[in-house]
Amino acid sequence: MAENWPLYVTKTSPNDPVFVGTGEIPSGRYPNRSFIGDLTSVALRALKDAAMVPADVDTIMLIPNLHSIADQADLIFSRMVEELGLHGKAKASYMVHSGGSTSDNAVRAASGLIAAGHARTVLVLQCERWGSANLLEMITMLSKNGIPGEWELPTGLQFNAIGALITRRYMHATGSTAEEMASVCVTLRKWAQLNPNAMYRGKPLTVEQVVNSKMVADPLHALECPMLADGAVAFVMTSSENAKKRGLKDQVRVAGSGGCVSHYSIGQEKDLAVLGWKTASDRAWEQSGWGPEDADFAEIYDSYAAVTTSALEGLGLCKKGDGARWFAAGTGDPGGKFPINTNGGLLSAGHTGVGGGTALLVEGIRQLLHRAEPERQLEKASRCIIGGTGGSYMDAQVLLLERV
Amino acid sequence: MILPKIVSEFRDGLAKGELLVQKCDACGKLNMYPRFACPHCQSEKLGWQKSAGKGVLHSFAVLRAGAPEGFEGDLPYALGVVKLGEGVQLLGRLAPDADGDWSSYRCDDTVEFVAVPAAEVERRPCATFRRVKS
Repeated sequence: MAENWPLYVTKTSPNDPVFVGTGEIPSGRYPNRSFIGDLTSVALRALKDAAMVPADVDTIMLIPNLHSIADQADLIFSRMVEELGLHGKAKASYMVHSGGSTSDNAVRAASGLIAAGHARTVLVLQCERWGSANLLEMITMLSKNGIPGEWELPTGLQFNAIGALITRRYMHATGSTAEEMASVCVTLRKWAQLNPNAMYRGKPLTVEQVVNSKMVADPLHALECPMLADGAVAFVMTSSENAKKRGLKDQVRVAGSGGCVSHYSIGQEKDLAVLGWKTASDRAWEQSGWGPEDADFAEIYDSYAAVTTSALEGLGLCKKGDGARWFAAGTGDPGGKFPINTNGGLLSAGHTGVGGGTALLVEGIRQLLHRAEPERQLEKASRCIIGGTGGSYMDAQVLLLERV
Repeated sequence: MILPKIVSEFRDGLAKGELLVQKCDACGKLNMYPRFACPHCQSEKLGWQKSAGKGVLHSFAVLRAGAPEGFEGDLPYALGVVKLGEGVQLLGRLAPDADGDWSSYRCDDTVEFVAVPAAEVERRPCATFRRVKS
């Protein structure tokens, strides 16, 4: 069991790593966009948001894509340095990869670099184009990556089946009905109506529509499975001292984090209704000194409703077993007691691969910077919980962010 | 490609109608999935124990659409996470009910390992389980 230890930077440390800008383009199916074009676009948007230009960045950190190995190689081999005119200037460019939770681990990596002085300003970039790719190729790719080829691939396991295994156990353990599970998707869809970048903006959803849609992987209906989407986001982190020097008034910092890798293969998860959320959350509370009552809102990975509802319970945001009913009561809705996934989440903004969690992270940062579009900017936005996971839901990552 | 012994010997067991679990020769603990070193004591002296084949179904899924390439012909098919009586667990296929579907299955059902013909193991080298009627 990993021991807990304190964050070695505080609000007043000059090397406290802070978020100072974000950038994003719409998620959905955009066959006419291009990988490098999208990355360049969000890089420049994030820099503009941070009142910076490329020359202010010393380190570029890349979030992986899932649609193309060749595009991945471009990122690894530092293409974005050259695209942004930083050849000869940038110190380093590299990729961090842990599947869906990459966003959380990239924050830790960038934070560590800044706190130690290995970097001063880190630009983090993400783009996914699997929404425009051949669907069967993507399904097959997902069944071969992150699923043990010797032990589980022969069963025909694929990503919706993984979601179904978790959902079935969650429903059994908590007594949640199909309608209660569907209400999670309905809450997320309400938020998507308020996000101009969301794939499902303009497409409202009811519980009846979800439970009447085709059964894809029992107990999951088609309308509660995520849609693969193209998308891109970026964010800028720098030291507190540099942000102050540049006169940047809006800053967001990391108050603490926790994590738990509970398995690799889904067949080895001890409790599919719990995963690693409780352990990760307890570690985050301990490091930060927060409790669940200290957060104003949360952005939690929602590829499948049961992943989010079990996270809510592990975080202590609701009683054990009540996650789906918490959604069904409208608690997480726009105007509800505790806003959740305010960009519409993976289920309604679009599942942009490793970008799904990154988009949620960026939404959390954007809300805390008070720069979301007025229709969805939360009034109370000082502290938020970011919940990350992915793949076979092998790890649960919890980041606690606060406005400085 | 030559499969590691921990994989080929497991599959040989399935082809003979046996469900094998890895057993550490040094500490005697059981491991699934089979590993290259005992996760408990790190010994590399590893063997097998034949499972009694009885377990509890922790969860299951019935896939009806979106099969990976090569599995389209198997649709619909069911997968389950089975916790064996020996204290280890694995993912396997689930045999359908008489009507070809899985409507009688519930979480926490008792399930038992089902031997399948060697040719089917060759095609799909995974364990198959069937619900034990209460």
